[in-house]
Amino acid sequence: MEIIERIKTNKLIDNPTDIQKICLNKLQSNPLPNPKSELWRLSNKSKFSNFFEYSANEKNPNFDIPYHSNPKDIIRIVIGLDSQILLKKENYSIQQLNRDKLDKYIKQKISCFDQNEHWSDLLNLCLSSEKNILGLKIKGSKIPPIEIFSHALSNSLKAKTLVIFVEKDCDVKLLQVNLGKENSSLSQSTFFCLEENSSVNHGIVSYGERKSHLLNSLNVIQQKNSEYNLGSLHFKFNYARFEIRIKQSAGNAKTNIKGMQITKNNEQISTYTKINFNGPNGFLDQINKSIANDKSHAIFEGLIIVPKIAQKTDASQLSRNLLLSNFAQIDTKPQLEIIADDVKCKHGATISQLNEEELFYMRTRGITLTEASKLQLSSFFQEIISFIPISKDRWDLLDKLLNEN
Amino acid sequence: MGVSFVKVYRANCNKFILDNMVNENLVKDVVTEPYKYGFVTDIETEKIAKGLNEDIIKLISLKKEEPKYLLDFRLKAFKKWQKMKEPDWAQLGYKQIDYQDIIYYSAPKQKEKISSLDEVDPKLLETFDKLGIPLTEQKKLTNVAVDAVFDSVSIATTFREELAEHGVIFCSISEAVKNHSDLIEKYLGTVVPASDNYFAALNSAVFSDGSFVYIPKGVTCPMDLSSYFRINSGDSGQFERTLIIAEESSSVSYLEGCTAPMFDTNTLHAAVVELIALDDASIKYSTVQNWYAGDEEGVGGIFNFVTKRGKCLGKRSKISWSQVETGSAITWKYPSCLLLGEESVGEFYSVALTNNLQQADTGTKMIHIGPKTKSTIVSKGISAGNSINSYRGLVKMGSKATGARNYSQCDSMLIGDQASANTFPYIKSQQPNSEIEHEASTCRISEDQLFYLQSRGIEFEEAISMMVSGFCRDVFNQLPMEFAAEADKLLALKLEGSVG
Repeated sequence: MEIIERIKTNKLIDNPTDIQKICLNKLQSNPLPNPKSELWRLSNKSKFSNFFEYSANEKNPNFDIPYHSNPKDIIRIVIGLDSQILLKKENYSIQQLNRDKLDKYIKQKISCFDQNEHWSDLLNLCLSSEKNILGLKIKGSKIPPIEIFSHALSNSLKAKTLVIFVEKDCDVKLLQVNLGKENSSLSQSTFFCLEENSSVNHGIVSYGERKSHLLNSLNVIQQKNSEYNLGSLHFKFNYARFEIRIKQSAGNAKTNIKGMQITKNNEQISTYTKINFNGPNGFLDQINKSIANDKSHAIFEGLIIVPKIAQKTDASQLSRNLLLSNFAQIDTKPQLEIIADDVKCKHGATISQLNEEELFYMRTRGITLTEASKLQLSSFFQEIISFIPISKDRWDLLDKLLNEN
Repeated sequence: MGVSFVKVYRANCNKFILDNMVNENLVKDVVTEPYKYGFVTDIETEKIAKGLNEDIIKLISLKKEEPKYLLDFRLKAFKKWQKMKEPDWAQLGYKQIDYQDIIYYSAPKQKEKISSLDEVDPKLLETFDKLGIPLTEQKKLTNVAVDAVFDSVSIATTFREELAEHGVIFCSISEAVKNHSDLIEKYLGTVVPASDNYFAALNSAVFSDGSFVYIPKGVTCPMDLSSYFRINSGDSGQFERTLIIAEESSSVSYLEGCTAPMFDTNTLHAAVVELIALDDASIKYSTVQNWYAGDEEGVGGIFNFVTKRGKCLGKRSKISWSQVETGSAITWKYPSCLLLGEESVGEFYSVALTNNLQQADTGTKMIHIGPKTKSTIVSKGISAGNSINSYRGLVKMGSKATGARNYSQCDSMLIGDQASANTFPYIKSQQPNSEIEHEASTCRISEDQLFYLQSRGIEFEEAISMMVSGFCRDVFNQLPMEFAAEADKLLALKLEGSVG
């Protein structure tokens, strides 16, 4: 908990930037999130405190990406490594935002933060050095898929920040990969801004190793007629927390979210989503799946807010959970807050185990119990995994989940 | 008249319309009716000083001639209450309650001991007559035994002898303390302990009266039991306590109704209800809550903070809650079931209607502890005007609840674009061999349906009231007949002027 002490005494960083100073000041009054607030109530305190066990000092950021070489048709960016990004092609451009513009945007964001709700973002921006804040502006058409990496090495605490503007009429496929090595903590905050008529297929794959920790926060603002599709997968973290905040700033936008978290051993992985419809004709289709095994704990809390202005909103949220062990725990809480009267909103939640009849059927056909369970699980996984862009060929996610996990 | 009114809703649509045309005047009456229970009975009452401290609690206990264990129970609860904080997690906003500005004991003055109803102050009987509660024994037309509670004390309990023949004990809790002390000592506070929550602790410290029911082994209670709560004073709170014990293989249906006069101050009502069902026993507890809700500007009204909980102790026991919540400025109420016994069953059926500036945060908790336990939750929320209506429910499967099942359905209906409807289900499972299903939806009055009904000559408000009634039918079907009739009328009346 050394970092908390340092936040309190404001001695966290040698030469703090303006942003870091602002965040430090904000954090000084509550260096730890309020455990009584609904957002942190179920969080395992001792696991969370382990997040601060490691040093935040900048060391040699050498990092080998743990898979096949970079194929030509994919743009790969590692936060904190690449010095300057400027890709200008005939039909598209990916440009790094200049420092002033980026700072201005982040400061403006911070000024709207709710201390409790955006605690993870405050911590992230307080720890993130200039080098680890990446701002991108994407425009044009026929853009090749993009992969963006964040990582924390063993025995370190890293904070990475990503700001992306997707300009009008732009169509982007982007996979974000968060990796936590053994005994590490990673704080990742992402700010997405989708302009009118743009469309983003966003994938997030986060996986850790033994005793790795993750605080992942995603903030998305969608303007009119934009479409945002998110497929996410979190697994193998001792403690992971995924916060999604999406705001349809003027309604008339589409959001699809398919997320999954898998917990084993003694892990705790949680997903918190807050979808705010700030205009009429918004659309949301969300499904979140959790699987909890051994002594692990999976949490999902989803909030949909439909204010008076958001007439004709069509939102549905489904939480499907598999509890595979007698000692595991699942908490789920899909919430609706509705004021507009001409809306279609529904949510559902189920918690069950593998279907015994199906297992029995497969066994009568000569398939072993282990294989039959795998088959059932793979069908449970498939819906989510196929929604994560460009992961299919390169990440063998299904294989990883079924065999390693 | 009211009963036929409900029956028609259950019939098919054509018949419905026909019958309804005949009943046209009734509907009109109903829709234009103001809060008719808002009168005050001018009766001499005995009140103690405002405020809350140990002396006040000792005084209440002394007035009720309570044994020492009960006084200790109260004082212990008071100590706990002093250390507790008022909960603030509910989706409610109300002005701070000054607990020292409340009278904790108020009773109508009457003769020391009443041997028959003839000796009850006629004004009191008149009050209950006005409320439609059959207290006088001449009116044995309705086969319901009533325990009437006026401010802090129980006025009268009817049909006692008939019940006693079956061994059923139905009396006020003060009487039970005197005559059945062993049962009170054994069971009081075992389902809702004093330290359970802020309002339960307050109630445990100052509870004045309430009903006590004991159904002996193997007895099916020959009639519905009912209690009627009436707040009459504007400055006194009502803190009643109800305890129902159903022994092995017994069953009982219990009804509860509440009204209050219109005052422009807020009155606090903090009740505790405890139900205990042993092997094969079943308890059905129905409430129609129509406390004064305040006026259209939100002035006055009852603050209703209630802790209701049932414990299914025995195997195959069953506790069923059904409620129609239409009154109160603030409602904070979560009737719950602790399902301990193997194969025990918990049910919750609720209609909550809020209008004007009413706020309701209500729902249930189903805690599955024993194996093969089952629970069903059906909640219908209707919000109109500027009101806030939230469903908050917990379903928990403990690690020993193998083969347990839960089904929850929460529907909300929004009327007008100023009202808000929220759903907060908390679902927690620690047992893989259990199943939980939860569904929720939100809708509005369908314009197509409205148009259809209007094109068939049904007036606008009538059509609305029919549709609301249809929306709530799953719950109304669970209510006893008298209540279903009352509930239907109540909804129509409460929605008056909120649409269009």
